[in-house]
Amino acid sequence: MRRTLAPALASLALLSAGSAHGVETVKIGAALSMTGAGAPYGPNQRAGLQLAVDEINKGGSLKGIQLELVVEDDGSTKEQAINVYQRFINRDKVSVIVGPTLSTMATAADPIAQGSKVPVLAVSNTAAGITEIGDHIWRDSLTEKQVIPGALRRAQAKLGFKTAAVFYGNDDVFTKAGYDVMKASLETMGVRILGTQTFAKPDRDFTPQLTELKGLKPDVLVVSALADNASAIVSQARQLGYTGPIVGGNGFNSPAFVKNAGPAAEGVLVGTAWNRASTDPVNVKFIEAMKARGVNPDQFAAQAYTGGLVIAEAIRQAGMKGGREDILAGLAKVKSLDTPLGKFSFTPGRDADHEPALQVVKDGAFAIVQ
Amino acid sequence: MAQQVVNGVFIGSIYALFALGYTLVFGVLDILNLAHQAVFMLCAFVALTLVESLHLHPLLSFPIAVAAGGAIGIALERVAFRPLRGRANSNIAGLISSIAVATIVEAVALAAWGPDQQRFPFGMIPEAHARALPGLQRALGISVTVVQIIIFAIALLVLAALTVLVRRTRLGRQIRAVAENPTAARILGVNVDRVIAAAFFVSSALGAAAGVLYGVAYNYVAPDMGRAVELKGLAIIILGGMGSMPGAVIAAYVLALCEVWTVAAFGSSYRDVVSFAVLFLILLLRPRGLLGAAATREA
Amino acid sequence: MVGWLQEAWLTYQSVVAFIGLNAILALSVYATLACGQLSLANAGFMAIGAYTGGLLTQKTGLPLAPILAACTAVPALVAVPLGLPVLRLRGVFLAIATIGFGEMVRLWFVNWDYTNGALGLVGLPQRAGPLLVYACLGAAMFALWRLRGSRAGYALESIRQDESAARTMGVNTTAYKLGMFVTGAALAGLAGGLEAHLTFMVSPSGYSFSRVVDMLVYAVVGGATGVVGPVVGAAFLTALPEVLRAAGSALGVAPGPLRLFVNGLVLLVVILFLPNGIASLPSRLRARSRERRSRAAPAA
Repeated sequence: MRRTLAPALASLALLSAGSAHGVETVKIGAALSMTGAGAPYGPNQRAGLQLAVDEINKGGSLKGIQLELVVEDDGSTKEQAINVYQRFINRDKVSVIVGPTLSTMATAADPIAQGSKVPVLAVSNTAAGITEIGDHIWRDSLTEKQVIPGALRRAQAKLGFKTAAVFYGNDDVFTKAGYDVMKASLETMGVRILGTQTFAKPDRDFTPQLTELKGLKPDVLVVSALADNASAIVSQARQLGYTGPIVGGNGFNSPAFVKNAGPAAEGVLVGTAWNRASTDPVNVKFIEAMKARGVNPDQFAAQAYTGGLVIAEAIRQAGMKGGREDILAGLAKVKSLDTPLGKFSFTPGRDADHEPALQVVKDGAFAIVQ
Repeated sequence: MAQQVVNGVFIGSIYALFALGYTLVFGVLDILNLAHQAVFMLCAFVALTLVESLHLHPLLSFPIAVAAGGAIGIALERVAFRPLRGRANSNIAGLISSIAVATIVEAVALAAWGPDQQRFPFGMIPEAHARALPGLQRALGISVTVVQIIIFAIALLVLAALTVLVRRTRLGRQIRAVAENPTAARILGVNVDRVIAAAFFVSSALGAAAGVLYGVAYNYVAPDMGRAVELKGLAIIILGGMGSMPGAVIAAYVLALCEVWTVAAFGSSYRDVVSFAVLFLILLLRPRGLLGAAATREA
Repeated sequence: MVGWLQEAWLTYQSVVAFIGLNAILALSVYATLACGQLSLANAGFMAIGAYTGGLLTQKTGLPLAPILAACTAVPALVAVPLGLPVLRLRGVFLAIATIGFGEMVRLWFVNWDYTNGALGLVGLPQRAGPLLVYACLGAAMFALWRLRGSRAGYALESIRQDESAARTMGVNTTAYKLGMFVTGAALAGLAGGLEAHLTFMVSPSGYSFSRVVDMLVYAVVGGATGVVGPVVGAAFLTALPEVLRAAGSALGVAPGPLRLFVNGLVLLVVILFLPNGIASLPSRLRARSRERRSRAAPAA
């Protein structure tokens, strides 16, 4: 989906010709991580978003409007994210931006969209402080603050743990935010935190920290990490002989985690924004459609797909208008929309509002804990 | 705690192999070869490809990957270092040249294998995570897997072979002669070019060995795997003394154990600060490191 | 027509600004290379400058000018006690020591709660723009150019050629080396402060070892024997990923690896065949044609 100036100008002409001529093209710019630290999540997000756009265009539910998806790699660096946003806003003239994949990039690039009055729909940012950037920033991904407490409470109901050890990555916005929430939740639940250790994203050897934590004999190990680190952490914990339960944050929510951790991933509990076992027809059809495209859907695909549905709904709510301000106004009116995530609405703070779920890794795949 | 010592010794062995390659090239050519970590990474991928695509037994793919590393080292020397040998600022130019090569290799790896981490197939080494001598382990309060023992054994074997090479063989003597004084060595009839090439072969083979073992030990093979090790490696060779091979080995274990102890005592936030603090202090207080003899000040 | 220009400007203004920033960073590396020292500490100084600027903007209501002055001054002050012991080390050891410093600074910021650790400072107002960046770049280039032509400049060049000889001739090598080290730190700090006010945030991940390698590449590729060289290098290599985006997709290679590959290849070619950088190309070609001409014509 590379753009050059001429087609951009052509579509600009088309856009301004607009509704008077029958088919209006509304552009969605997706800044996703295809390389770098966010790479485990980006491709599935693209797949989910593309599926939504294709289905909406084919279904014709947006009378007279075709959605066009432009995807660019933000390289998981803030400079590239900013450049991509600039291109989307000024050259491609998108009506709405989806992304970026990682919260760290969002804090750098979203202010630009806010300043240029372009709405942004985050589909995977889960740290605090994102929607606070401005009234044009929305998200459909439940924050760690919304998922983790519920997940921990459900886990405790099942396992009955009284003490915990916590391990988190202190050099990433997302994992640190996850840790803050985990700590607060555990304390609220009356669980004693016996010890806390940290690691950094580039680390591969977690044995010293894990040895320390194991030595404290906690009832449960709670980990906030991105997928790559998560698989190594879990493998090494089991290797060291830790047999207790492990609860992971949102970074664990990736098939990459399960694949790389192998047998060590069995039994790991993870809170999730997406209940894949939901028998809701929208969800079932979503999973089938993704599998038909050769993609095994994960939470990120589901949230991205939902993002597509939300944007379409916003356009509908704005009276079938696809301009930037139209979509902004329309987002505010999205209520109880049927999505694979459940009935979706926004909170007054423009965050996602729906029920989270708890998963466990069983036989090499995520299964919902009822 | 006994387990922490085990952890430290284990990672220390891999660091030692890596650092040896670094220090060997420095000793012989007075150049810091920052492409070393690229060979480390590339050969881990080579081994991975051999195992996954050609279904070669891991114990067979190890020596092949190591030999490949050596060959790459020779090519590296020919392309990136030899043309610079006459120049006045050859060590800085060499450093920059090695950075260039490292960048190219990383780019090729990214294009060929993608940025995601990969791992060696499960069950590659049968019962890879089974414990050896569980009774003894329980008694000592430690946990060591079969894979870790194999890796440790291989590392020791390579170290032993290297020692024999350097101390007992003619090539080893020649390498030491060139490291001491290339001009004198040449006058004495040593083919300096060939010796340097041989040194690079050995150095890169060591890096390759470290890479494969690391990839197996941590189930992590990715184009960026060399980064963290590269900087640790620097700290190790400074601590051990640039150009000193026994120094590199001792320093590798010392640093690894220091790190582990830091984590145990202070928590892991400052784990990496240890290597750099050590590096810094050594450079300021005793630049020749523990066992080094190279001149480190201005003349 | 004007609309197209306007649109192009809006789209590419951040690339233009980054070129200017990278040029300042390249000059900061050039500062120490000018007297023959390879210092790789500038990512650390840049971080110090950036955080200084960010914190001042967040906590005080000071106007931008004094803040930028602080961004330049604080790293310079840090560079003095650092430089004195470190500059005694030769070549590679200096390089390693400065790498170590840079990493320690980064790790410090990653772990410091006052600056929000890994998250860094966010939500900074965008007080700097391409114009300001290029104004600073112009000032830096001018200052360095004047320095080169002055007596101090000659002293630096003599140190670069042969330090012990220079010392024997009475040049105060320690003072000069320290002076350029501090200058490099100041420039890097200024660039850091500008970047913080350009990209809305300061995050420790932007000041890693690869950042300083980038700076080094700009300076070397452009040519570290003159003031124009580093700027040329920075412009060339910053614009390259944007230019290559189209070519890369035609070849089916992702932009990331392609950019890295070209960076590495260009650096390798330059260091092997054009050690004084791209900027030395015109003078080399001139020398080559002069040689050819004198060979063709018989001696008078």
